[in-house]
Amino acid sequence: MNTVIQAFGLVFQTDVMIAIVASAFYGLTVGALPGLSATMATALLVPITFYLSPIAAIATIITASAMAIFSGDIPGCLLRIPGTPASAAYTDEAYAMTRKGQAETALGICLWFSALGGIAGTLSLMLIAPLLAEFALSFSTYENFWLAMLGLMCSTLVARSSPIKAIAAMLLGLLITCIGIDNPGGVPRFTFGSTDLLGGIEPIPALVGVFALAEVMRALTEREPPKLEHRRLGSILKGQIELTKKYPKQQTRGNIVGIIIGVLPGAGADMAAWVSYAMSKRFSKTPEKFGTGHPEGLIEAGASNNASLASGWVPALLFGIPGDTITAIAIGVLYMKGLNPGPTLFTEQASSMYALYIIFILGNIIMIPFGIIMIRLASRVVGAPRSAVMPVIMIFCAVGAFSTAGNNLFAVWCVAIFGLLGFVMEKNGYPVAAMVLGIVMGTMVEQSFVTSLIKSDGSILPFFSRPVSMVLSSMTIAALLWPVFMWSLEKLRARRAVAA
Amino acid sequence: MLLSDKITGGVMVALGATAFIYGSTLPPVPGQQVGPSAFPMAVGAALVLCGTLIAFGIGRHFEEVAEADVASHSAPDLHEPLPAWWNWLALLPPALLAFYALASEALGFLPTAGIMVVIASLAFGARPKLAVPLALIAPFVINLIFLKLLRVPLPGGLLPFPW
Repeated sequence: MNTVIQAFGLVFQTDVMIAIVASAFYGLTVGALPGLSATMATALLVPITFYLSPIAAIATIITASAMAIFSGDIPGCLLRIPGTPASAAYTDEAYAMTRKGQAETALGICLWFSALGGIAGTLSLMLIAPLLAEFALSFSTYENFWLAMLGLMCSTLVARSSPIKAIAAMLLGLLITCIGIDNPGGVPRFTFGSTDLLGGIEPIPALVGVFALAEVMRALTEREPPKLEHRRLGSILKGQIELTKKYPKQQTRGNIVGIIIGVLPGAGADMAAWVSYAMSKRFSKTPEKFGTGHPEGLIEAGASNNASLASGWVPALLFGIPGDTITAIAIGVLYMKGLNPGPTLFTEQASSMYALYIIFILGNIIMIPFGIIMIRLASRVVGAPRSAVMPVIMIFCAVGAFSTAGNNLFAVWCVAIFGLLGFVMEKNGYPVAAMVLGIVMGTMVEQSFVTSLIKSDGSILPFFSRPVSMVLSSMTIAALLWPVFMWSLEKLRARRAVAA
Repeated sequence: MLLSDKITGGVMVALGATAFIYGSTLPPVPGQQVGPSAFPMAVGAALVLCGTLIAFGIGRHFEEVAEADVASHSAPDLHEPLPAWWNWLALLPPALLAFYALASEALGFLPTAGIMVVIASLAFGARPKLAVPLALIAPFVINLIFLKLLRVPLPGGLLPFPW
C-alpha cells in the first residue's frame, strides 16, 4: 500500500502534470495531421524527455502516444485519410459513417472505445507484468538470448511484407549495432578509422531518421491532402453508452486481441487494428454491412489499437524487448533515466511501476475531454498547411538528435543517413520497424549470445537443453518456419481447387 | 527509388559477405574461444542467405498479398499520377540536414535553420508570403525552446541568439 501512495506522490507533481497536459495536446495535434504517425510524435519527443524527471519523461511518452493513436482517427473519419497507420484499417468504415451524416457517432466511437481500450490494456499490464516478472527472475543468458530472438522473429512475422525481407531488415539492424567498441572484446569494429563511429550508432538518431525524416521525405513525393471543410458537429458522446451495451462482445474481443498483439514483440497498434477489424467482420452476424458505415468493426478495431499500446509495455519493461515501435523508443528513454528494463524493476522500483500504471489510466481518462476539444478544433489543425509543418519537423529532427547526442553534429549525419535508408527500404518493401528492433536489441542479443557461448565453452547444447530455453527455442524456430508453412498450405489449397 | 529485388537482394548479400569476412579478421580475446568476431560472422552469414533468397524472388508472394490489402482499403487516387522526377525531391531533406551538419557551426543556428526552412517550405509548394515569415519565426522559437526550456545551447555562429 505504501508504494501505491508513493506512486501517487510521484505522479501528482507539478512538472508531471504539466508534462501530461502538454504532451496530450502535442500528441492529439501530431496524430491528427495526416502523414504524421504516433511513432514520429514519440520519436520527436525524446530530446525533450532528456531534460525531464524520469516520471515526467515516461508520462510524456505514454500520454503523447495514446493521444496520437486516437486522434489519427479524426482525419480518417472526416477526410478518409488516416492520421496514423493505426487508423488505416477502419478509415473506410468511419468515412462511410460520416457520409451517412453520422460523423459525430463515428468520432465518438473512436474516442470512447479508444479510452476504454486503453484502460483495458493498462489493466492487463498491471496483471501480466508482475506475474511474468517473478517467472523471469530465474532466466539466465540462454533464456534471454532466445527471448530476444523470439522477439525479433515475431517482429518479422507480423510485418505486412515478405518475411524474408523483414528478416533481412532485422539482420541489418543487428549489424548496425556491431559498429563501435561496445563489444565482448572491446575492439573497434566497423569503425573505418572514424572516431565518431567508435561510440557506435545511438538508437535515437536512427529512430528519428527512420520515423521522422523519412516521413518528411515521403510527404515531399506525395500530393497535399485535400482541405477539411468546417462542419458543425453535434454531441460526440451521445449514444456511446448504448453502443457499449449493444456490442459488448466486439469490444471485449477487440481489447483481448489488442492486448495479445501488443505483448507480441514488434507488433503494435496498426497490426492490432487490422487483425481486429478482419476478425470483427468474420465473426459478425451481418458481415455484409461492413464498409457501409457500420459501427461494429469500428468499435472492435478502435478498442483494439489503444489496448495494444499499454500491453506493448509488458515485454519492454520486463525484458527490454519492445512490444512495438513506440515502446522501442520508450526503452531508450527508460535506460536514459536509469530505469533499466528487467524483472527487478518490479521489485526494486515498484513505486515507479505503479506511477506508470497511474499515468496510463490518467492519460486514457483525460483523453475523453481533450479528445472532444480536438475534434472541435480539427478543421483548423488538419487544415494546417503541410508546407509549414514539415520544414519545422525537419529542423526538430536535426536539433533534437544533436542535443541528445551531447551536442555532436555526427548525430545529424546519422539522422540524414537513416532517413535516406528508411525511405529506400520502405519503398522496396523492407519493413523499417524490424530494422529498428534490431538496432534497439542488438547489443543485448550479442551479449547474451557471447556470454552463453563462453559459459558453455563454445558448445551450443545448453541453448536447447535447458527446459525454458528449449520451449523458447522451439517457439523461435516455429516462428521462422511459419511463413513456409502458410505458403505451402496455400499452394496445396490452390492445387486442390484446380483439381476439383 | 524503387529498385528490383535482384538489386536489393544483391546489396544484402554483399553487405553480409563483407561483415562475415571483416568479422573473421577481428582479433580474438586471449584465452576465450568466442570473442568479438562471432556475432558479426553469424549475422553476416544469415544476411547472405536472406539476400540470396530475396534476389531469387522467394517470399514475394506475401508482399503482393499485403499490397493488395492496403490498396483495397485506401482512398482511390483521383488525380493523374505524379511525374517521376517528383521522387527525387525526397533527397532534399537529407541534403538539408547535411547542410546543417556542415554549416551550422560557422553560420550559427538561426541563419542555417532559416535557410533550411525557406528551401523546404518552397519545395512543399508554399508561397514566399508563407515561407519567409516561417523561416524568420520558426528557428527563433525552436532556439528559444531549446535554450531556455531545455538549456541546450545551439551553435551561435554569425548571428547568436539575442539574449
